Amino acid sequence: MQAGNWFIGVDVGGTFTDLYAFNRDEGTVALHKTSSTPQNPAEAIINGLRELAAKSNVPLDAMASLAHGTTVATNALIQRRGAKVAVVTTRNFRDLVEIGRQIRPKLYDLKADYPMPLAPREMRFEVSERIGPQGEIIEPLDMASVDAVIEQLRDSGTEACAIAFLFSYLNPVHEQAVKARIQQALPDIAISASSDVQPEFREYERTSTTLLNAYLQPAFSRYMSTLKDAVAEMSPTAHVGINQSNGGLMSIDKARDYPIRTALSGPAAGTIGAIHMARQSGKPDIITFDMGGTSADVALIRNCETSLAFDRDVAGFPVRMPMVDINTVGAGGGSIAWFDRDGLIKVGPISAGAVPGPACYGRGGTEPTVTDANVVLGRLSGHGLLGGAMSLDEDAARRAVGKVADRLGFTIERAAKGILDIVSANMVRAIRAISIERGHDPRDFVLMPFGGAGPLHADGCARALGITQIIVPYSPGILCAQGLLVADQSESFVRSQRLALDAASAPVLAGLVSELHGEALAWWQSEAIREDNRALKLAVDMRYASQNYELQVAVDAELADPALPDTATLKQLFFAAHEQAYGFYNPDDPVDVVAVRLTALGQLPSPGTPPLQDGASDSPKPRTTRKVWFEQPEAVDTPVYDRASFAPGARVEGPAVIDQFDATTLVFPGDVATVDEALNIIIDRARTA
Amino acid sequence: MTREAIDPITIEIVASAFRSVVDETFIALMKSAYSTNIKERHDHSTAICDQDGRLIVQADMSLPIHIASMTGLMKSILAKYPPSEIEEGDVFVANDPHVAGGTHLPDINYAAPLFLEGQLMGFVCNIAHHADIGGMAPGSMAGGMSEIYQEGLRIPVVKLFRKGQIQQDIMDIMLLNARIPDERRGDHFAQIAACRLGVRRVLEIGQRYSLSTIRSVFDELVERTRARMRAAIAEVPDGIYEFDDVMDDDGLGTVDIPIRLKVTVTGDRAIFDWTGSAPQVRGNINVPINATQAAVAYALRALLDPEIANNQGIIDCCEIVSEKGSIVDCIAPAPVAARANTSQRLIDIIIGAFSRAIPERAVGASNGANTTAVFSGIDPRNGKPYLYFETLGGGFGGRNDRDGKDGVQVHITNTSNLPIEAIETEYPLRVVSYGFIQDSGGAGRYRGGGGLRRVIEPVGHECIFNGAGERFANAPWGIFGGQPGRPGRFALADGSGETQLEVKPSGVDVAPGHRIVVETPGSGGYGDPAERSDEALDNDRISQKYSKDYLARHYPGIAKRAAQPPR
Repeated sequence: MQAGNWFIGVDVGGTFTDLYAFNRDEGTVALHKTSSTPQNPAEAIINGLRELAAKSNVPLDAMASLAHGTTVATNALIQRRGAKVAVVTTRNFRDLVEIGRQIRPKLYDLKADYPMPLAPREMRFEVSERIGPQGEIIEPLDMASVDAVIEQLRDSGTEACAIAFLFSYLNPVHEQAVKARIQQALPDIAISASSDVQPEFREYERTSTTLLNAYLQPAFSRYMSTLKDAVAEMSPTAHVGINQSNGGLMSIDKARDYPIRTALSGPAAGTIGAIHMARQSGKPDIITFDMGGTSADVALIRNCETSLAFDRDVAGFPVRMPMVDINTVGAGGGSIAWFDRDGLIKVGPISAGAVPGPACYGRGGTEPTVTDANVVLGRLSGHGLLGGAMSLDEDAARRAVGKVADRLGFTIERAAKGILDIVSANMVRAIRAISIERGHDPRDFVLMPFGGAGPLHADGCARALGITQIIVPYSPGILCAQGLLVADQSESFVRSQRLALDAASAPVLAGLVSELHGEALAWWQSEAIREDNRALKLAVDMRYASQNYELQVAVDAELADPALPDTATLKQLFFAAHEQAYGFYNPDDPVDVVAVRLTALGQLPSPGTPPLQDGASDSPKPRTTRKVWFEQPEAVDTPVYDRASFAPGARVEGPAVIDQFDATTLVFPGDVATVDEALNIIIDRARTA
Repeated sequence: MTREAIDPITIEIVASAFRSVVDETFIALMKSAYSTNIKERHDHSTAICDQDGRLIVQADMSLPIHIASMTGLMKSILAKYPPSEIEEGDVFVANDPHVAGGTHLPDINYAAPLFLEGQLMGFVCNIAHHADIGGMAPGSMAGGMSEIYQEGLRIPVVKLFRKGQIQQDIMDIMLLNARIPDERRGDHFAQIAACRLGVRRVLEIGQRYSLSTIRSVFDELVERTRARMRAAIAEVPDGIYEFDDVMDDDGLGTVDIPIRLKVTVTGDRAIFDWTGSAPQVRGNINVPINATQAAVAYALRALLDPEIANNQGIIDCCEIVSEKGSIVDCIAPAPVAARANTSQRLIDIIIGAFSRAIPERAVGASNGANTTAVFSGIDPRNGKPYLYFETLGGGFGGRNDRDGKDGVQVHITNTSNLPIEAIETEYPLRVVSYGFIQDSGGAGRYRGGGGLRRVIEPVGHECIFNGAGERFANAPWGIFGGQPGRPGRFALADGSGETQLEVKPSGVDVAPGHRIVVETPGSGGYGDPAERSDEALDNDRISQKYSKDYLARHYPGIAKRAAQPPR
């Protein structure tokens, strides 16, 4: 590791591949953007690295770490560009994955259906075998039926194959035997077994996750192989990590086997970046709010940790795996304000997108958007976005918002403020869902807005939620890329097994923890993670014996010898969690453990604080003033500052506007903004109502 | 009382806050409940009503028939208790369809009053289908019951909590009268907690908005929805549209029970006249008028404006004419447990009537049932009684631009299936097979969706099976030339073969090694089969959802088409 001092984050999107390089020793930052290459996304990464090296004098052989976030898997699912895929199931159950949960996505819409499975019925094959609810073998695996399926797989020309049997999460032996047999007979096809991908209860969700994984495997595998070879050649000492949905990094080899784990990794990186900033500012409890052009992602961070969620939809299919608990709402800068048939006004989820974009972009958009409302109110400067590289057409914004104003009989400014209030209300609902509805009082948290549009809307959300402090990170627009650089390597291990929570179960639980610990040790070894960089987290999923939704309870664990507390203590922890989540608990009812989870971490050295810019001062002067509408019907003459001119200790009283390359921060009248040592802006809100 | 004028932006923001509350209570109830029917199958609903009992907001996943029960409960509370007797901390509970606005006994209705500025502002409500409410058959849903007294415990509107104090006597009565009381207690607690949560959240909203603002917002929401629905009705060509169909069987010997509808559309009003439908029957497929209203409200929304907000404004547009004591407007002591089957039929009939007026929005008859299967017995693993209740989806009818959907819940119900891994872990039962039934969706330009077959056997003990089926005798019809779908059936399989059971079987003993076969109905196709595309027919064949024989019989041109060289 000492060979290099450059840390590089690469974010591959559908259109562009972004590179963010940070020199740990010198604090130097270099940015580069290049066109993505959807056929083999690794090409763009390699090209981008070479271009970055040439342009910014980043010696690639001095790269210590390459952290890679990718939307390739997500896009392949949305656009249905994966492999020809088959699934092998327990006999009599090939339709399970098409029946799903037998529900319709919209109760009142006679034409809305969930999508058909990626493996159509003729690509779903059955073998004779059956495992029972204790993991016992009810019907042994019939190898002749497996061989018959292998012939069908061969004839079908399939490129990938998922294997998903009932109760395989309790006993994987049949799935593994079938996997080995297929692998031997058909070495060129990719195989995913549900007992490897996500060995957990609920056959439909497990099968769906496994099928998506298999569908992505062939293309992802080529992509990862190209990347691995190229990086090995260019930067032999670099550690390569692929960002996954739980916010940690995995190795290239893991990513090749489990591409589905990258499917929700983009927003996860943002929360990891946010945690890094929050830690530097000494704020352990924050609610993050990442607002871009079409949507906003919100997450809750408590004690510098995100909580995990397990069930999400990706491209219309359910996926179950550990992922950062993020709530997404269709509210972004491009969200359009429109009147419904009952005359009520809505904002989003329809978005003007990048083309035509908000009316003020001057690309032919005429519908009023959130960005237009911000321009009308002077909150966004007509001189534009991206440090002035893109100017905004104030007249077009006023014309667009004027349509709303005319219909309501309001002034244009009042209509614009109404649009922003509605978008705030939408975001507040999303934040409530991850805070109040999980038993957390948002008033105990600091709000951290990021993304291009986040800092403009922070005050509205904070006000509605009673949050008194806002922290705007140093670079709100590239927090996701920064998150890639500060993420740990991580791997989650789970034992899904239902046990009564009583003293008799203690030895079984201890055995599970010891098995998980053994797997973690093997993983640390295989990833060559030094002992002083290792960390682990232990958690138990519990519920009342009669419930079906478990609550995850984290327990403290020693790195060297992780162990659970006694079962009475676990029960008390569960009661506390139930009280927090639902407002009550039943002390006399039996409690079950349903899973034990261990997350092994490998901590990577993390970058320090960014350097000060020339001319930065702790008493910055405004660049100009402009009229801005805040809460009152009249505009206020408001000083406009450059963020680059702020040094630690700078203090600005609202009203103020703070512009930077990719974001604009508002300080409302009466509020006070200060800059901390990590160059984050802390806004203390004077008004609580 | 005078209302303040209120702008659309404020309406949207305040409504958004109330929508948050009903969504939150919906999820809290689902996650903390004990019975699989709520926690996995989501057979529950949450809503907020105003002080006059008008429905204001409901959780998105709420079920139409539940909402009808809630508004029924509202009327009953307001009729029974003068304003002075509705106090903070009260919690009302009820389930009876004849005296408390319910639609069948297993749906237990809760409501807690909301007070703001010292005045009654409304109620938070939730309703959940308990897996048992007592009565003569486990699961309280079996066929063969001839009076509501046999269907379980009848609860009129009572206060389970008075000013925050639980009336333990009432809880004790409810628990003593249900099978598996521990599970019931857990579900009651979850419902009570959801009420309290809702009250707390609404009071928080009350700190930000005045009572007068909130009342104005409620009025606007209802009035705007009503106007919007009226406008949608106005787009339907004026005329008289009639349709009729029959129910298979009431479970007590009455078969082919006719239901008739005449819809008169004039301008922005539609009158639903059910005169001429059969008198109420002895068996438990009768429909209380509230549930008939729910069917009409569902159909109006689904046919005319699926995105409209669900509140009192829609209910106000449901103009219904019915004969008291008929199957669509039954009176005490009519049994009603399986009323959802009839409700599904009412919706098919409404869609059939409207198909002439708005053909592009109509669909073929769907599985028209709420196929119910209840297994009970003593779990040999622990000696405790168990009860497993489930309703299964079937075919969804063909549509004007796409095939119907195979194996899905239709119309007024959208409850999930229970995972096989959950069934086998919780109950001493084994699922032997689960899949689509070949040739079960009716042929058509766009074919109907197919039915589901599920086979279950008891493990290591003898269990009892109760069920309720519909469209087991009278097939779901197609429209505009589409063919009917395959009817469903129940059967008992022993080593030697399958014995077909009644449409509404009750108390069937299932020995170890024997199996219950549940086959749900398919659905009708849309349009002339001769117009079905070659590609779709190829898919029918390759997927094996249809046999070659069926395709040859129902698509006579297919042999000729196949003989032509590929294009």
